[in-house]
Amino acid sequence: MSLKNQLLLVSLLALLLPWAGCQFVRETESALRASQQQMLAGTARAIADSLSQYPEAFPPRPVAADAEGVVAEQLYAHALESSPVIDGYLEDWPLGESSLRALEANGVRARFALGQRGSYYYLFVAVADDTVTWATPASVAPGDSPPYADRVSLATVTPPYAPERISFAAEAPGAVVPYVENAFGFAADRPREAEPEMTIRAVWQDVPGGYQLEARIPRARLGSHLGLTVDDAAGPQSPGARAATFTAPRPPPLAGHREELATVAASLLQPGLRLVVTDAAGWRIAAAGSLDSAAGARPGGVSRWLRFAYDAVVEDGTPTDFAEPDPTGREQQAYVTAALTGEPGSNWFRSLEGEQAIVAVSQPVARGDDVLGVVILQQGTDAILSLTNRGLVRLLNLTLLAMLLVAGGLLGYATWLSRRIRRLSVAAAGAADERRLATALPSAGAGDEIGDLSRSFSSVLAQLGSYNDYLRTLASKLSHELRTPLAIVTSSLENLEQEALDATARSYTARARDGAERLRRILAAMSEANRVEELMSHVETEPFPLDAAVRSAVGGYRDVYPERHFELAVTPGPGCIVHGAPELAIQMLDKLVENAVSFSRAGDTIGIDVARDGAAVRLDVRNPGPPLPTDMHGRLFDSLVSVRPRDDGTHLGLGLYVARLIATGHNGRIEARDIDGGVVFSVWLPAAEARDGNGDGKPRDGGPGRRRAGGARGRTGG
Amino acid sequence: MARRIAIVEDEAAIRDNYTAAFRREGYAVDAYGARKPALDAFASRLPDLVVIDVNLKDDVEGGFELCRELRARSPELPIIFLTARDSEFDAVSGLRLGADDYLTKDISLPHLMARVAALFRRLDALRDPQSAGNRLTRGDLEIDTERMMISWQGRPVGLTLTEFWLVHAMARYPGHVKNRQQLMDAAQAVLDDNTITSHVKRIRRKFLAIDPGFDAIETVYGMGYRWLAA
Repeated sequence: MSLKNQLLLVSLLALLLPWAGCQFVRETESALRASQQQMLAGTARAIADSLSQYPEAFPPRPVAADAEGVVAEQLYAHALESSPVIDGYLEDWPLGESSLRALEANGVRARFALGQRGSYYYLFVAVADDTVTWATPASVAPGDSPPYADRVSLATVTPPYAPERISFAAEAPGAVVPYVENAFGFAADRPREAEPEMTIRAVWQDVPGGYQLEARIPRARLGSHLGLTVDDAAGPQSPGARAATFTAPRPPPLAGHREELATVAASLLQPGLRLVVTDAAGWRIAAAGSLDSAAGARPGGVSRWLRFAYDAVVEDGTPTDFAEPDPTGREQQAYVTAALTGEPGSNWFRSLEGEQAIVAVSQPVARGDDVLGVVILQQGTDAILSLTNRGLVRLLNLTLLAMLLVAGGLLGYATWLSRRIRRLSVAAAGAADERRLATALPSAGAGDEIGDLSRSFSSVLAQLGSYNDYLRTLASKLSHELRTPLAIVTSSLENLEQEALDATARSYTARARDGAERLRRILAAMSEANRVEELMSHVETEPFPLDAAVRSAVGGYRDVYPERHFELAVTPGPGCIVHGAPELAIQMLDKLVENAVSFSRAGDTIGIDVARDGAAVRLDVRNPGPPLPTDMHGRLFDSLVSVRPRDDGTHLGLGLYVARLIATGHNGRIEARDIDGGVVFSVWLPAAEARDGNGDGKPRDGGPGRRRAGGARGRTGG
Repeated sequence: MARRIAIVEDEAAIRDNYTAAFRREGYAVDAYGARKPALDAFASRLPDLVVIDVNLKDDVEGGFELCRELRARSPELPIIFLTARDSEFDAVSGLRLGADDYLTKDISLPHLMARVAALFRRLDALRDPQSAGNRLTRGDLEIDTERMMISWQGRPVGLTLTEFWLVHAMARYPGHVKNRQQLMDAAQAVLDDNTITSHVKRIRRKFLAIDPGFDAIETVYGMGYRWLAA
């Protein structure tokens, strides 16, 4: 990972600033909300205390072994805000589809709703039934013997009186006259009485997939307990299936609005609050007040990105939809059920648009240890109270701006820093590669750590440079210093040979001469590099055809190394004319060929190619043999570096060094690389343009044309 | 009367060896270890030939100084530099000071003797204007093997002994390539490739000074040099 990315990553820490700001906003917001809830809870407690003075207004808690089961079986009469027309359709009911309750048992599927308004109860039942078994005059009154018919029945009772059954069956779609029957076991011994009940108005509608029944029943006609059954007869002779909302012999108490309680509650309520009172089972028995909807309409609103920021900052509330009174009539929110067990609860709701929030508290209405019911108090408020505070918006904006500045600054700084370091590293690598070890590195004058780094780089490079210089001059110095003692040895030997010596002594002097000769050759090789360097410094370059020179030289190599085959591939033409000293170029080739010969075996083929390569002419010398040692790459062309096994005493590793001296002295370069089964050394020498070919060529060497001819002759005549 | 050779050499062992070798050849030898005693001795009497080391102990360029002073006194006196310094620059400096030859200490004693003998031969030939000499003519090139003089287009080319032998070896059989070994043998010297290259370059330059159109010496890469017949 680059320094820039690292610092960018570090600059992410600046995100802590807005995060901290957000935390602050959130805390403030929570605190404000908590205080509002507390206030609301106080009001709710006061209302609950007042309501507990009217215990009789609360329906008694159902007493049963399975209280929850009984509660689930209770029917709930919604308070209707308008009177529906009795026509068999739900459309004119002030209730939504979600208020319909499902009744499904024994294959019977029905949905129904119960409402109350004024002195009437309203009933709507929709039954899914593919085959409606219509009643006949004989079966329109209820009976548990054939003929049967599809029938909707209400079971009602006010304990301890005998239960009654009000049964609706239709001979045809349209108005239905129900029959009332007391047939629920309490008076089984009494004869059945089924009489038409004319005070109940009912309409039966045939709809696709079933039928619907709507009925209006005077409140006085029903008792305190109510249940619903639906009979789906399979035919006049078959009783079919029955579904009922209750399982006990007697239906559970009917839950519903208590007008008197609602009146009391309304009198206790301040504007802008919504009050819901439930009974001990959670059924809504009173509701009053409405939320102040104007609170959400803030002029101007907030910009989209700010909204986005708020959404990120403020903790999610429950969607406001859940704050509405439950359509089924039973409040089952967690904060309500908590209050049902005696614990005050609270919650808050936030609309998805963020415009409005609702704070809600629940307070049990208790008399002694008895929970009679629950008071739910809700208050609408601005979505995020604290966000109305302009200062807070400024805080958010400022921290965001600060973060951007910090991140931007760090990024810029990192870019600058990494560029300095990169420049330094490139310069150092370049200086080390190109042996320009004395050059000043960037940032050398800086007072910071990069300056220190640059200076220590410089000093390391300088040390490297002096070491390199030492190595480079070592050979020539050594050869120079050794030459005088060697001259003493050889001249002494030569004098000695002039003396009268016997054969044994002469063989010794001959050996000593051999040794001295070898020593001389080594010294000559050692000083060669120096000599070439010297030549390079004042070399006279001229355009010459490298291909012809190489062709001529290869002719010589064939004579010198008869055990090797030489394969020459040149692309003839003016493209292979290079600027340089031909003798030195050939000396370089000599070194490369010498190297190739020493690494190959007798009978091997050494390939030499000359070809134009861009602005340069490339000279390749290929030989089969062992690959280049991997640890020597880059140092291969250094002075006194030899990769040869030490069985050949006179090799000093100067040949390739001389080759590189000549290549770089010509502004060219040299490279070695492995090829399949061997090694290739490539030299690039800058090509002279074709215009140097003839006209202004110096006459003394006959120009390139003469040279080529001479080379050809040399090859045949050699 | 034996010819008198002066050796100025700071290294006693070499001095003694050379002295012995020259004496064996019948020369009279005066050996000096430094410039001062040599100059003092030369003040009274000049030798017939001087062999000088460039580097005389602490007197780093003492040989060059000595050569300059000797040449000032006698334009004819054969002077040979015999030194461990093999750089091109030193060789050019020495020859420019008027030395007849610049040899490195690699040279074997027999080769040195041959050169000295040749220089004396040339001296004799020059002193005897009557002798017709042994002339070799190759077009514009004229070689006087007695005097070891070469002229091009009738004008003398000032060559050192080594250079003379190189040209002589090449020009004797024009068109034949002389490889480095052959040239070395002819010059009675052990020379490496670069030295031969430098010598040939110098020879060419000297001819070019006389005739800008000179191109008789051809390089045959990888093999050697040849004299092109005009």
